[in-house]
Amino acid sequence: MQDRELSNATVSFGLSAAIVNVFNGLLVILKESNQDTLLAWMKTVTFHHWITHGLLDLILFVVIGFILSKTNAGKGVSMSANALILVLVLSVVIGYTLIAGFFLLE
Amino acid sequence: MSDLILLSHPLFGVLGILAGVWVLVDALNVTPQTEGRVRSVSMLAAALIWLAYIFGGYWYVFSYTPEKAIILKGPWPFAHAFFMETKEHAFFMLLLLATFLPIAARNKLAASPGARKLVCWTAVLVIGLGLMMDGSGAFISMGVKLGLMPAAAPM
Repeated sequence: MQDRELSNATVSFGLSAAIVNVFNGLLVILKESNQDTLLAWMKTVTFHHWITHGLLDLILFVVIGFILSKTNAGKGVSMSANALILVLVLSVVIGYTLIAGFFLLE
Repeated sequence: MSDLILLSHPLFGVLGILAGVWVLVDALNVTPQTEGRVRSVSMLAAALIWLAYIFGGYWYVFSYTPEKAIILKGPWPFAHAFFMETKEHAFFMLLLLATFLPIAARNKLAASPGARKLVCWTAVLVIGLGLMMDGSGAFISMGVKLGLMPAAAPM
């Protein structure tokens, strides 16, 4: 199946995790800055904004990973392990900084 | 019952961190014979972090409100305003990476240095984020404790 360094699923879901890590941080800022609209809507979806937030992250993780795995005629995105590691680490740093920075400054 | 649920959260979290350390050490020294074990422990780490999420999330949604009020009225309001708010949202990154760990571990680790490196780095991120969650939990507990203590009498 693979003479490539990483499997299609690994690159696709690794990239998906990185994308959702940043999305997660941005959603925190967006919902906390728009409590009467976005946060209120998120509360109506599952009765608690945090549950909706987690569900959105998990659904996006699965959907983006699945879509990426089907690109390039089903071969998925080609990426080296070093590049994927860099993207993952950066996404964690950016995601955590967005969240912690927002609540530190709020 | 609420206390048991609350205690289950750090219990599964710490066990998940330890499983992450196991994956890291095993992946660093992986051979074709031990690849299966790395995959199994990766699954275990993911399952333990998911259990920490489910128990912690249940407690946060249904039982945290009174303790939040205690923290906010006490001397350490930042235990909620910063540590809990950051923890409850950063936990999602930990959950995603723990879920990704067994996917990354399905590659041919003994034959591919790149795949091995990816598993090691993912385990490091799971361990690091797990420890940050654990440390934040300590601040939150202390915030409740200080909020429940009577104000110090003047000397």
